[in-house]
Amino acid sequence: MKFRCERDVFLEALSAAGRAVASRSGALPVLGGVRLALSGDTLKATGTDLDVTITVEAAVSGGADGVSVAPARLLTDIVRAVEPGAVVLEAEADELRIASGRSHFTVRTHPSGDFPRLPVPSGDTLSLPAAELFEALRQVTRAASSEDSRPILTGVLMAAEAGGLRLVATDSYRLAVRDLPGVGVLAAGQSVLVPSRALSELTRLPASADVVLRLGAHDATFEAGPVSLTTRLIEGEFPNYRQLIPSGYPNRLIVGREPLLDAVRRVKLLARDATTPVRIAMRPTGIDLTVVTTDWGTATEDVDAKYEGAEMTVAFNPAYLIDGVEAIASDEITLDTLDALKPATLRPTEGDDLLYLLMPVRVS
Amino acid sequence: MPAAVSETERVGPRPPARPDRRLRRILHVDMDAFFAAVEILDDPTLAGRPLVVGGTGRRGVVASCSYEARVFGVHSAMPTAQARRLCPHAVFVPGRHDRYAELSRSIHAVLQRFTPLVEGISLDEAFLDVTGSERAVGPAEEIAWSIRSAIAQELRLDCSVGVAPAKFLAKLASEAAKPTAGPAGVQPGRGVVVIRPGEELAFLHPLTIETLWGVGPATAARLRRLGVHTVGDLAAVPCDVLEATVGRAHGRHLGQLARGVDDRPVEPERETKSVSQEETYPLDRRDRDGLRDELLRMADAVATRVRRAGRVGRTVTLKVRFGDFTTLTRSRTEPAGVADGQAIASIARALFDAIDVTRGVRLLGVGVSSLAAPGPASAEQMTLDLDRAAPPRPGGVRGDTGAPGGAERPSPAARRAAASGAVDSVRERFGAASLGPAALLGPGGIRVKRTGDAPWGPGAEPPGGAGGPRSGS
Repeated sequence: MKFRCERDVFLEALSAAGRAVASRSGALPVLGGVRLALSGDTLKATGTDLDVTITVEAAVSGGADGVSVAPARLLTDIVRAVEPGAVVLEAEADELRIASGRSHFTVRTHPSGDFPRLPVPSGDTLSLPAAELFEALRQVTRAASSEDSRPILTGVLMAAEAGGLRLVATDSYRLAVRDLPGVGVLAAGQSVLVPSRALSELTRLPASADVVLRLGAHDATFEAGPVSLTTRLIEGEFPNYRQLIPSGYPNRLIVGREPLLDAVRRVKLLARDATTPVRIAMRPTGIDLTVVTTDWGTATEDVDAKYEGAEMTVAFNPAYLIDGVEAIASDEITLDTLDALKPATLRPTEGDDLLYLLMPVRVS
Repeated sequence: MPAAVSETERVGPRPPARPDRRLRRILHVDMDAFFAAVEILDDPTLAGRPLVVGGTGRRGVVASCSYEARVFGVHSAMPTAQARRLCPHAVFVPGRHDRYAELSRSIHAVLQRFTPLVEGISLDEAFLDVTGSERAVGPAEEIAWSIRSAIAQELRLDCSVGVAPAKFLAKLASEAAKPTAGPAGVQPGRGVVVIRPGEELAFLHPLTIETLWGVGPATAARLRRLGVHTVGDLAAVPCDVLEATVGRAHGRHLGQLARGVDDRPVEPERETKSVSQEETYPLDRRDRDGLRDELLRMADAVATRVRRAGRVGRTVTLKVRFGDFTTLTRSRTEPAGVADGQAIASIARALFDAIDVTRGVRLLGVGVSSLAAPGPASAEQMTLDLDRAAPPRPGGVRGDTGAPGGAERPSPAARRAAASGAVDSVRERFGAASLGPAALLGPGGIRVKRTGDAPWGPGAEPPGGAGGPRSGS
C-alpha cells in the first residue's frame, strides 16, 4: 500500500476512526490499531472495539493498493505532529513508513489478517435528517445508563410511534422520551435498541445533511457523509416505559430555563458529593433552591416562577436535574410533580416532543 | 482452602505534620503478650504456665505466647509445629479474636481519657500524642505510669509504655520497657521507658539496624556489606551512599530515622475510606459459578465491615489476578450508597460476568470505596420501578400494578438495609456462621468469611496484623 495525501485530510480521518478504537486495557492488541485500506484513490480508515466500528473515507493520491493495520494512537500522534502539507505513507511487510518533509517514521504494524471482519448490515437504506436526529440524540442519550451491568439500559430505544420516530432512554433514575414526528423510517411496531455510546459517537461526527440508516438483524449502520458507524444492536426487551409516566399531575411549575439552570449550577457548588440533593421549595410566587452539606455549608437561591398546586418541597440529584433542563430547548420549562417521592416531569412549555421524567431524592 | 487471605482498609490522608516536632511528647502503649494475657485473664489456671495462642493446625503459626513460653525460645510468627518441638508441655489454644477486640476497645476507652489523640495500630498497640495534655494532666512520664496502672487495675492486663519525641522512638522505648524472657527465666520489665529530648541519639545509636522500622533481612544484608551494623553506623553513612544502596525513598527515610527524625503525626480516628477483601487460590480457578459464590462470600464480609464502620459505599471494585499475574480491576459507582452483601455481590458479579476467566484466576477481590455516612435516610435517590414495567416474565410473581414509581412501599434500599441490620443482630448473638446467604450453604454449614476467622491458619498474614488493624475498634 502506498499513498500520498494532505496531512489535515488524513488527520481528520484518523481522528474520526480513532474514536471507535478500543481504549480499554486487556482488549485484543489488534483492536488498538486503525485499519487503512487503499483502493485506487480512496482510503478507508477503520477503527473498532467490536461493539462500535467507525469507517471514514478520504480522497488521497493512491500509489499502490493494499491494507495495513497501524497502532491508532501512535499514528495519530505522528500525523498531528508533522508539518502541515503532504504526507506519504507506504506499507511494507510488517511496517508502515510515514514521511513528511524532513520527518521519517517507521512503525511496526499488526498483521492485517488479525483485524476483525466487520459486519455489513444489508437492510434497506432509510434516510433521516441529520441535524434533527443529532439534536434529538443529544437530548436522550444523557438519560441512558453507562453501567454495563444492565445492558438494556445502556441502549436508546428507537421505535416507530404514530408515524414518526421515538427515542427513549433510561438509567432507572430518569427517563427521556423524544419524538421526531414525521420521521417515519421504521415500520409500525418496529423498534431497535441501539447502544447509547454508539449514538453519542455519532453525534460527534461532522454534520452532514442526511444520515442513512441500514438495519440488520444484529447490527445497524449510520452513514453520515464520508463516515459510517456500525454498531451491534442490544438484544432484549426494553422496559415498558409508558407505565412509568403518570397520566396527570396536580402540581405545575413554570420557570425560565436559563434562570433555573444558572441557579441550580450555583447552588450545586455546595453539593460536595454526588448524592447531595438540591431541594426545591415551590410557592405560588417562585421557588427556593437549597443545597445543604453538613460539613461544608449551605447555598440558597430563589427564582421567579409560576406555580399552581400544593406548596411542597421536592429534592433532586442536581446533576440529573441539570441534564434534564439542558436537554430542553425552550425559554420556559414546565415541571410537573405528584408529590415529593413520585416521578416528576420536565418538558418544554411549548411543544410536547420531549419529556424528561426524573425521580426525586427522598429527604428527611 | 484459600492459600492466603488478606484484608485492607485504606484510611484518609494524614493531617499536616506539626510544625515543631521537637516539642512533641508521644506515647507508645503496647500490651504485654496480649492474646496470651487475655486467655490467662479468662482462665487463671493458665497463669505462670507456658501458653501459646495461634493456629493449632498443621500449618498454623504462633500469634502470641506467654513469657513463660518465650523462655523456651517460642516467639510469635513461628510455626506452631516448631513451638511444639521447643516447648511440648505448653498449653496451645486457638485464639478468640472477638474477645481480644472487645478488650482492645476497653483499652482504647482508657487511653481516650488521657487525650483524644489516640491512634490504634492494632488490637494491642496504640500511639498517643500527649503534648497538649501535659499542662492539664501532668508530665508525659506521669501519664505513662497512670495509663499503666489504670489498665492494670481496671482490666487486669499489663502493658509497657514508651515515651519519646517521635513515634518510632516511642515504639523502641516501649520495647525496651518490656519484660524479658531468657534461659534464666522471666525478668520483669521497666514498665515505662522515657527518651527525653536530646537523648534520642544516645538511645538509638547502640541499637542494631534491624530494630528500625523498614529494615528487614534484605535491607540489613545490604547495609552490612557497607559495614553498617548499628543505627549509629547508619547515621554516619552519607545520604547519597545510603540512597544508592537501598533505593532513594527508603534510603532517605532510614537516614532520617537514624538521626532520630520522624515527623509522622499521631492520627486519631482514622476514617475508613475503603474496605476490601481478597483471596489468593492455591490453584488457578476457572469455575465461573464457584467464583461467583466466592464473590458473594467476599461481598458479604466486606458489607459487614462497611456497616460496622457505620458507612455506606458508592463504588464497588472487582479485582481479578490471573495465573500470569496480569491484574484487572473493574469498578462501578452507584448514585446511592450500598452496605448490604447482596447489593455489593450483584454489582461485583455483573462486573465479573464481563471478564474472561479461561486464563485461570489466581486472586479474586471485592472492595467498596467512596465511603460516606449513610444519608441519614435524608438523601435516598428514588428509582423508577423498571422491574414492574418490564414485560411479564414467565412464572413471574410481579402481577401487581400499582401507581407509577411505586413509592408506597418502603424502597428496596430501605428494605435491604433493614434486612442487613437484622442479619447483624442475629450474628452478634449467635455467631457469624449462624446466618448467611443460602448460596454459601455447604455440607459443613454456612461458609461465611469474617474478620478474625482463623486468621493464623495456613499461610495467613503475620500475627501483628491479624484480623486487620482497625477491625475491632
